[in-house]
Amino acid sequence: MSAVLLLVKIGWRNLWRNPRGTLLTALALGLGLALLLISLGLLDGLHEKMVGDGVRFGTGHVVLQAKGYQDTGSQDLLLPARVVSMTEEFLHTEPMKHVVRGMSPRLLASGLLSSAANAAGVGIIGVLPQEERAVSLIPLRIVEGTNLSDDKRPGVVIGAELARKLEVKVGAKVVLMSQTVQQPGTEATVAGEGGMQSTLLRVSGIFRTGVQAIDAHIIHLPLPVAQALLGVPDRVTQVAILLEREGDSPMVARDLRKQLAGEPVEVLPWRESMPRLVQIFRLDQAFNYIMNGVVLAMVGLGILNTILMRVLERRYEFGLCKALGLRPLQLAGMIIGESLALTTISLALGLVLGSSAHYYISTFGLDLHWLFKSGAPSAFVFDPIIYSRLSLSRIATSVSIVFLTATVISFYPALKAARTELPDALKVF
Amino acid sequence: MEEKVAIGRHTAERGLEGDVATWAVELKEARKTYRTGPIEIPALRGVSLQIAPGEFLAIAGPSGSGKTTLLNIIGGLDRADDGEVWVEGKNLQLLSSGDLARMRLERLGFVFQAYNLLPVLTAMENAEFTLLLQGVPVERRRERVQKLFLEIGLAGLENRRPGELSGGQRQRVAVARAMVTEPALILADEPTANLDSATALSLLDVMEQLNRDHGTTFVFSTHDPQVMERSRRWIRLRDGQIASDAAHASHILPP
Repeated sequence: MSAVLLLVKIGWRNLWRNPRGTLLTALALGLGLALLLISLGLLDGLHEKMVGDGVRFGTGHVVLQAKGYQDTGSQDLLLPARVVSMTEEFLHTEPMKHVVRGMSPRLLASGLLSSAANAAGVGIIGVLPQEERAVSLIPLRIVEGTNLSDDKRPGVVIGAELARKLEVKVGAKVVLMSQTVQQPGTEATVAGEGGMQSTLLRVSGIFRTGVQAIDAHIIHLPLPVAQALLGVPDRVTQVAILLEREGDSPMVARDLRKQLAGEPVEVLPWRESMPRLVQIFRLDQAFNYIMNGVVLAMVGLGILNTILMRVLERRYEFGLCKALGLRPLQLAGMIIGESLALTTISLALGLVLGSSAHYYISTFGLDLHWLFKSGAPSAFVFDPIIYSRLSLSRIATSVSIVFLTATVISFYPALKAARTELPDALKVF
Repeated sequence: MEEKVAIGRHTAERGLEGDVATWAVELKEARKTYRTGPIEIPALRGVSLQIAPGEFLAIAGPSGSGKTTLLNIIGGLDRADDGEVWVEGKNLQLLSSGDLARMRLERLGFVFQAYNLLPVLTAMENAEFTLLLQGVPVERRRERVQKLFLEIGLAGLENRRPGELSGGQRQRVAVARAMVTEPALILADEPTANLDSATALSLLDVMEQLNRDHGTTFVFSTHDPQVMERSRRWIRLRDGQIASDAAHASHILPP
């Protein structure tokens, strides 16, 4: 057995001189890692949820709209029918058809929805019900009545908050008023073009997403009805595209842009079309990393405290080793080895605890509805049940960071041990 | 008694005739002062002595006389502030910390008053500790340690940890560890202080036997009259200076 192995043996056995103390310390440190893993799993799960729900409540993974719409939001900026056809044709080719889950043309405008009791400003989304169901979550959140049907009957689907405000239920009549759109080069076929138009609708369904901004503001009606109301029979504001994998967004946006080169359009991946979501993402991530840094610091201090105490308690022993000829570097190596052994045990415990918690939360989810009793604030676009998502690379990175932190931190007590001064350390009090 | 005097004269004559290399240990006006803030405590005030190879000598004196300091300086555990300290022909004052550590590992053995052993190692592992640090292969290590264990009455206790050994047995393991590298010099700082008289005598028997059979120089610091009685020479320190240095049994003075 070489000197190195001897020192490893001494370090390992020293850990178990006080088994209960070692296990308690390891458990405390392991809990730190477990917290880290749980936090990261929730973060990744939350972000996956935010993106997943956000794009399905918003503009999809990729959105095609008239050039300038992203900046101005002007309802006069519309896509002609031929661009929508070209897009549809392109998305059905190889390899796009394996990457795209659905596409939905939409006409967006603002208007006023009135009932017998009240009136409210609304965001109008004219949709093709079947296409919209493949892209948006709103049709899947109907809590009363039914979604829009494809038979072009003038129904409307409104949010639960809006229904409450207007004091309407399914089957109630409402009047939708909006300003018609001025289209250069089109015939003035609609009476009052550039002026207000209204239409009578019957509430066919009420949805609840849990998102205040949507439930109090958004209405869905059949695309042809919206087009007739706004006087734009063959135009839409945007085409929302939902993909099988979020990671394909940049690629699809790039290829569609190429396909539509020369057309006055903008093709945006979700990170560009929903900057607010990205900001929330980043803020959340930054906060999480700060919290993880705090947890890491606590873990590090725990290790430092334990190892430093052990070093101070064993001053005589180190003096003896040095007196017998052990070099300072060897002594330091022994302490670092002990620290790493303790860290390894802690990491193993932490992985077990963290993985177990991750398994539970990834299977059953963490319901945060209690946090948002009156609905999620408008800044959030997600359903507050979070499932943990923890990749192997995240686990490996976390374990590596904790291990590296422990290694670096153990240098100080190791240095202290190496600097044990003879003959003072050998004095028996 | 006469034999003791004869040995002492022989030792002194060797010292007078020979040069530095003939002595196991030689100190020339070694001084050491400890400082605690503004307070200075002189531990050694110009100690000069020679120790021949194979001697079995005791350094006696009251508490604070400088016994442990002297032993520490000879053993390279501390450095003199002034003077010369020669051990095995090497001037310790000129050696680096690394060289001192190597010297302690290869040429010296230590037996301390208490807590001599690493508590997590077995008796065998404690005894072979220094051999391991020297890189001696396992077969040779085991052979040497087992031979020594047999010699000093520790056979059968190889796998016991210090907590499972008596005080006397622990000190014997420490002696075995000190002997196992076949050092030129063993320094023992009050090795019998925590032992009952019977155990102390038994330990002394072991060390005397090793001194006789292997020619290893033994230097003790002690209060114990039994140790002084068994030594062939004793140096009495008082206030950091040598008060007497004799090979005569009648010079045993109370500490």
